[in-house]
Amino acid sequence: MKQAKTWGSGLLFFLVMTVITGVIYTAVCTGIAQLVFPYQANGSIIEVDGVKYGSELVGQQFTDEDHMWGRVMSPSTGTFTNDEGEDVLWYGASNLSPAGEDFAAGVQERIDEIHAAHPEKGDEPIPSDLVTNSGSGFDPHISPAAAEYQVERLANNTGKSEDEIRAIIEKCTEQPQFGILGDARVNVLKVNLMLDGILPVE
Amino acid sequence: MMDELLEYGVYVALLVALAIPLSAYINKVMAGEKTPLSRVLVPVENVVYKCIRVDKNEDMGWKKYLANTLVFSIFSLVGLTAILMLQGFLPFNPEGLPGQSWHLAFNTASSFVTNTNWQSYSGESSLSYFSQAIGLTVQNFVTPAVGIAVLFALFRGLVSEGHLGLGNFFVDVTRAVLFILIPLSLVVTMIDVWQGSPQNLNDYESVQLLEPVGVDEEGNIVDADDPAAVETVDEATVPMGPQASQVAIKQLGTNGGGYNGVNSASALENPTPLTNLVECLSLLLIPVACVFCFGRYVMDRRQGRAVFAAMFVVFLVSLVIVGVCEQMGTPQLAADGQVYMGTDGQSGGNMEGKETRFGVTDSALWATFTTSASNGAVNSMHDSYTPLGGMIPIILMALGEVIFGGVGCGLYSMLGFVILTVFIAGLMVGRTPEWLGKKIGPKEMRMAVILCITTPLLILVGSAVMCLDPATVDSLNNPGAHGFSEVLYAATSAGGNNGSAFAGFNANTPLINVVLGLEMLANRFIPIVAVCILAGSLCTRPKVAVSAGTLSTCNTQFVFLLILMVLLVGALTMFPALALGPVAEHLMMVL
Repeated sequence: MKQAKTWGSGLLFFLVMTVITGVIYTAVCTGIAQLVFPYQANGSIIEVDGVKYGSELVGQQFTDEDHMWGRVMSPSTGTFTNDEGEDVLWYGASNLSPAGEDFAAGVQERIDEIHAAHPEKGDEPIPSDLVTNSGSGFDPHISPAAAEYQVERLANNTGKSEDEIRAIIEKCTEQPQFGILGDARVNVLKVNLMLDGILPVE
Repeated sequence: MMDELLEYGVYVALLVALAIPLSAYINKVMAGEKTPLSRVLVPVENVVYKCIRVDKNEDMGWKKYLANTLVFSIFSLVGLTAILMLQGFLPFNPEGLPGQSWHLAFNTASSFVTNTNWQSYSGESSLSYFSQAIGLTVQNFVTPAVGIAVLFALFRGLVSEGHLGLGNFFVDVTRAVLFILIPLSLVVTMIDVWQGSPQNLNDYESVQLLEPVGVDEEGNIVDADDPAAVETVDEATVPMGPQASQVAIKQLGTNGGGYNGVNSASALENPTPLTNLVECLSLLLIPVACVFCFGRYVMDRRQGRAVFAAMFVVFLVSLVIVGVCEQMGTPQLAADGQVYMGTDGQSGGNMEGKETRFGVTDSALWATFTTSASNGAVNSMHDSYTPLGGMIPIILMALGEVIFGGVGCGLYSMLGFVILTVFIAGLMVGRTPEWLGKKIGPKEMRMAVILCITTPLLILVGSAVMCLDPATVDSLNNPGAHGFSEVLYAATSAGGNNGSAFAGFNANTPLINVVLGLEMLANRFIPIVAVCILAGSLCTRPKVAVSAGTLSTCNTQFVFLLILMVLLVGALTMFPALALGPVAEHLMMVL
């Protein structure tokens, strides 16, 4: 009799907790979030004239000479499909040891690519975030140093002046929060949307 | 340089400054005293007891307390396994994801029921909203609550003078959930959403790529105009769902299981440096508060401060080592001066596996916080840390998750080490060991030793079993010494109930899922049984008067001895394995 009570209460407790912390808690959070912060709660999607160009929080790979490049990415298909069943891209981290040979070879390959696209920079050392994969594999940002490294190339390939490029970068740069938290960073997708004239610079 | 030091200081100072007042609040809640939230929550609490037909005034002895803990966990394990395997038939599954295999479901359920949150899968691509919110989030709430409950049962045994009751399991868990975890989670959720974390039940978004890509016959990504391309891909995914609400409690409850595969490195889970601060503090806040709760509960706050000091010293030393190693980077990355590693206009250092908005500082802080606490969430990929920078997280986990550790469980395991230290120090001066006015007998000692060696034993057995199977080689992402580190990290993470990973390691095989699942269950429930027996035994010990010969457990000397004891057990058990993995890799890097 006593044992049956322990089992009964245990089961009921599991069910009651599921309702409180699973159903009610999630519903309350979703309700408040949708009311107070609808843009963020729905993924911070950049939408212009009905076209969704991405989320501010999910980076994309750029290799064209008239676009700013971001962190090294390894996009893949096969994880997700869209409503029509077509493959869409998703990203992952490298998880390589930074003391390994595979890693060293990958870094050298990226360095050579960057040197080829930026002849004007000569032997100037390349900012470290520009030659590395990020933690998420879809880091939306690069450092101001990595952005500055690309200014001349972008000016040469977009027909804009270096000052115009710097103004766009400035516009897409977030400083450390409260002056001390985190690092300054440039949102690469936003820069490229402005370079392409899709997002207004002003 | 000054900016980085200032940021390290802000994190550590805020952590301690918030934990002290929280400890007073937790003690009040667990004693059933009136708090500002009582007017709203006490009626809810009473409804819970009515629904589960429990008398809230019943005081349980250790056997009953333990039985209820175990029965509740069994239902959690079975219920969660069922949800994960059947999610294909359950609602809130917009991506139409199928159920998990039996071994993955067993591993995942064991992982979340033991407060580990090891994940052999990527959440965004394999779990429905139902599994995430109704399955995993529930365990994220109740497992830390069980940790707090068992810890307070031990406290009650410690101060008891002949009274055999350890409290009421259902009341303890309900109060911990309603008064502590839910209110804090609501605050953290809202900060995360404000800063950018999604919180919705929408379908995943497909967005237009500015630069479409091609896919060749082998599935490799190539340029869109490459002649080898057989398919053009012009869209990417943005995963949606109730992310922020789950992220908040995964941090606060030292759970750590990410909504997304890359955990809090994803800007969707951790959008800004501010959310990084809030999430990072959340993951260590309650474990630190528990230490101060201990001092308050035994009516001698110096006792809590001494245990805190021992933990804090190991914590700070670890933080410095990780920070320095990562900022220095590796020769492979520096590539003979072709790469700029300095801090002008960038974070610099080893940025592989780290996010730009966090840089080395926020990443090193998080890595140390998350492996001190048995949290296991990550904001950078530990697999891509420098050899020694990645060794510190392994050590912090292998010490038994007692440097703050998990909610509740970190402290009760550390108190095992305190008893062991009291015993050995007592032997050295030839006195019967006493702790907090109670004589330590053979039964207490046996339980303390179980608390101290369960973790290292499970880690060694787990990694040995995985190394014996030749197929494990296929799971490795890196060759050589680093590959062994990946196996060791997995076994340590499961054996310490941490849940973080060298994530390149593919753990989703039947053998590894089962080995790690059993390790997690054993490391959660063997200590819980030991703590309940210990608490029951301490109840029966009469208080003895403190004399001049009593060893003080709150002076500097004791703090030093306690640190020594923790490091000694850790070093004796783990050193050979560490020498084969991270130490060997480091030597190969510099030589």
